[in-house]
Amino acid sequence: MNDVYGQNYKKYMLIPAIIFFIMLFLVFVFPGVQLGIDITGGNLIILRSEKEIVADDVYAALSEFNLPELRVSTISSPTGYGAWIQYSKDPLILEVETLLSQAESLLDNEEESIALSNQALFLLEGNERDFENSRLALLGAQEALSKEKEKFYLLLQSSLINKFELEDNFEFQQREISPTLGAASFQGIIQISIIGFILLTIVIFLAFRQLVPSAAIIQSMIFDIFAGLAGMALLDIPLSLTTMPALLLLVGYSVDTDIMLSSRILKEKTGTPQERATTSMKTGLTMTGTTLAALVSMIVISYFYQVEIIYQISAILFFGLIGDIISTWLINAPILLWFMEDKK
Amino acid sequence: MTLLKNWKIIILIIFLIISLGIIFVDVGNPQKGYLGNTNIRLGLDFEGGTLLQVELQREVSVEEINRIANIISQRIDPTGLRDNLVTPIGNQFIVIQLSETDISEIERIESRIRQQGQFESTINGETIFTGDQILRVLRGDTGYGVFQQGMFYEWRLPFVLNERAVESFTEKTFHQCTPVSFTPGGQPIYDCAKTMFFLDKPNAIIIVSEEQYENDREYLFLGDRQLNIPQQTNIDEVVENSQLPVIIFRDELDYNYLSTIKNETGFNNIIISQDLENKILQDLEAQNFSVEVLKINQRPWVWDVLSAKQIISLTEGITNQNVATIEQARRYSTLYITGQRDSFEEAIRDLEELAILLESGSLPTPVKTISRETISASLGETFKSLVIIMGIIAFIVIGIVISARYRNWKLAIPIFVIGASEVIIIFGFIALVRMPLDLAAFAGLIAAMGTGIDSQIVITDEIMSKSKKVKESLMKRIKSALFIIITSAFTLIAVMFPIIMFARTFPGIDKLYGFATVAMVGALIGVLITRPAFTVIIRKIVEKIEKN
Repeated sequence: MNDVYGQNYKKYMLIPAIIFFIMLFLVFVFPGVQLGIDITGGNLIILRSEKEIVADDVYAALSEFNLPELRVSTISSPTGYGAWIQYSKDPLILEVETLLSQAESLLDNEEESIALSNQALFLLEGNERDFENSRLALLGAQEALSKEKEKFYLLLQSSLINKFELEDNFEFQQREISPTLGAASFQGIIQISIIGFILLTIVIFLAFRQLVPSAAIIQSMIFDIFAGLAGMALLDIPLSLTTMPALLLLVGYSVDTDIMLSSRILKEKTGTPQERATTSMKTGLTMTGTTLAALVSMIVISYFYQVEIIYQISAILFFGLIGDIISTWLINAPILLWFMEDKK
Repeated sequence: MTLLKNWKIIILIIFLIISLGIIFVDVGNPQKGYLGNTNIRLGLDFEGGTLLQVELQREVSVEEINRIANIISQRIDPTGLRDNLVTPIGNQFIVIQLSETDISEIERIESRIRQQGQFESTINGETIFTGDQILRVLRGDTGYGVFQQGMFYEWRLPFVLNERAVESFTEKTFHQCTPVSFTPGGQPIYDCAKTMFFLDKPNAIIIVSEEQYENDREYLFLGDRQLNIPQQTNIDEVVENSQLPVIIFRDELDYNYLSTIKNETGFNNIIISQDLENKILQDLEAQNFSVEVLKINQRPWVWDVLSAKQIISLTEGITNQNVATIEQARRYSTLYITGQRDSFEEAIRDLEELAILLESGSLPTPVKTISRETISASLGETFKSLVIIMGIIAFIVIGIVISARYRNWKLAIPIFVIGASEVIIIFGFIALVRMPLDLAAFAGLIAAMGTGIDSQIVITDEIMSKSKKVKESLMKRIKSALFIIITSAFTLIAVMFPIIMFARTFPGIDKLYGFATVAMVGALIGVLITRPAFTVIIRKIVEKIEKN
């Protein structure tokens, strides 16, 4: 097999075009990529146990807390069981926090500030107190809030511990993210993505100095990212600060094969471009193949041992690299061959 | 062994030795917070701990956010003993890393950040006024600031007390100066009582070893400018002013006395000095006290445990020396604290510290929300072993794939060796810059390794497969491989660079800092050190194969 491309290579591009539309559908329409709580804000508790955890039991154990937008998912593996418990912030606590931050910014306006603190106290404890100054009022209300939160968390924790007979030093992870922090993080993600993309484009143009090949590399990169996103949509992996590195990694990995292919087709003189594309494919599939093999082993281990971050990153990379095989050898290679043919 | 004469190989070996040195040298027993017997610090994911992300009410200036970060780190850890990291991010966020995972303890720390501190000013063992009685520090006043006085810089800090505090101040400072001698001009020179300032005094009984107490006595007597302890400070006076029960431990503890104190004060908490941990900790806990052990370091232990912050001398102008009875005394509602320093910067620092203290350590811009993330220590432990297993398995899998592809296991060896060298040098870098190793950094390592392996396959293929048919020179083949490698390394760097650039600007992005740094450094190490060496090795192997 010295030449798998022959003269019909242009038709190859049809397949990725169809796949691209399917991916767009998966990402934007159904099931769609979810945003993680570090972007939307909310609470997440991850528990691990040696005994089985059933989602319905978790719902039952937590019913008394009236957690808004509660979502529970469980996992069982040969090594143990786990539960993911996600909910949004208690509206009461949110309201109290808003009142207190207002009270704090109005400290100089004694009457109003005391009124706000008292309002918060009323929400928390059902009664107001007499305060001689705004600082003391705020202090009192803040103390009440922190007691309330502590009580809430301890109760939540202890009802989970009791329900699932967890040991004292059980393994857990807890996250509480405010919506505004999430928004600011998201803004940061957008910014670094845009700048990263611009820098990357510059590097590629500087390396190849030709429009079509450079554009082909960049299209392949975009294709790969959508493949990663489609994988996230399918596996219900949210877009978050932990999955962001995976998408960036994808960019790094995907360009490796594209650069190798472009450099061989454009800069070398031996054989026909089709033959050069075919040998490149052998090298490229080895590159992607080794990475995929390593990723599969990581996916399996991290899934069973519930190492959330590594599982998510390797799953996204897996989908992205499958996408890379398609985009590099079915789009990028034909584009370059076409480009070489036109140059003659 | 001609290979060892090649300078590219020599460079690789030198870097390996240096890295191994950085990782392992100078490590005694395994340290807490470090990976095994190495100098590699472990991050939150592996050690367990809590990350707090504080959002302020509004954006503030760079100076202000640094100031707020300072106040926060002062308030959550006045003694500087815990290994907490407080970092401002952009103009509105502050990230705090704690080793704490206990919910109640974290809640306490959170409320310390949000709440006003409890400021107290005392004299002769009595409270004069507390923080909530300070109506305001007159920051905008013309009397506020640093003024040049001849060779010195004098700072002045005016503040206003409420009515009750003014009354208490007048009463408790009345005639607290005594004339001790006279100037040549006949003016009396006074010796005045001192007021002491405390912030966030603990509600606890304090037990300190006699040895430590006597050490501290000496320390306080000598004074410490950095800690605002004037010379000739008497430790007994500090204890008296704190109004806290302090027990000096000699040979044994009198439990009857302890329970009397407990009944009088209602305190169930005890703070003991570290050197008493082995002697009395268990007994106290058996008696149902909740005991905290406070470490001993270079600072005066007693001063720290009492949360003493400042000692300010009264001046005769304010103690109403000129009138006979308290009824005639003048009431000052605005008080001034002043001090002198040799340099403007020192004076500003003193003024600022004291102003923050009087404002009860409250933040100049209120906190809007605090987000947090906790990973339990036991989970971190599990992560750590898993990551190591995963790394090893991934390596083995890669080895198998490569051996299968080239049908020659000898080719897998250099790829293996070079891959391992890359990991060692990256770890050396991590240990060198004391960057904590967390899951994100681990992902960065995957990135670097991935492109590394990719590049090695490119080099191998470029040299191997073509050599059979094509009469291209070896040099030319290597050159073309080099172009591919360098371009791909730079694309990785281009993507990671913005993360490093904005890690201190946007919240959340700071979590990716370790990831981006490791990936970028890994790419550079690959291009500059390991891949050139790899090329040399592969060339030797190919030359040998071609000869046969």
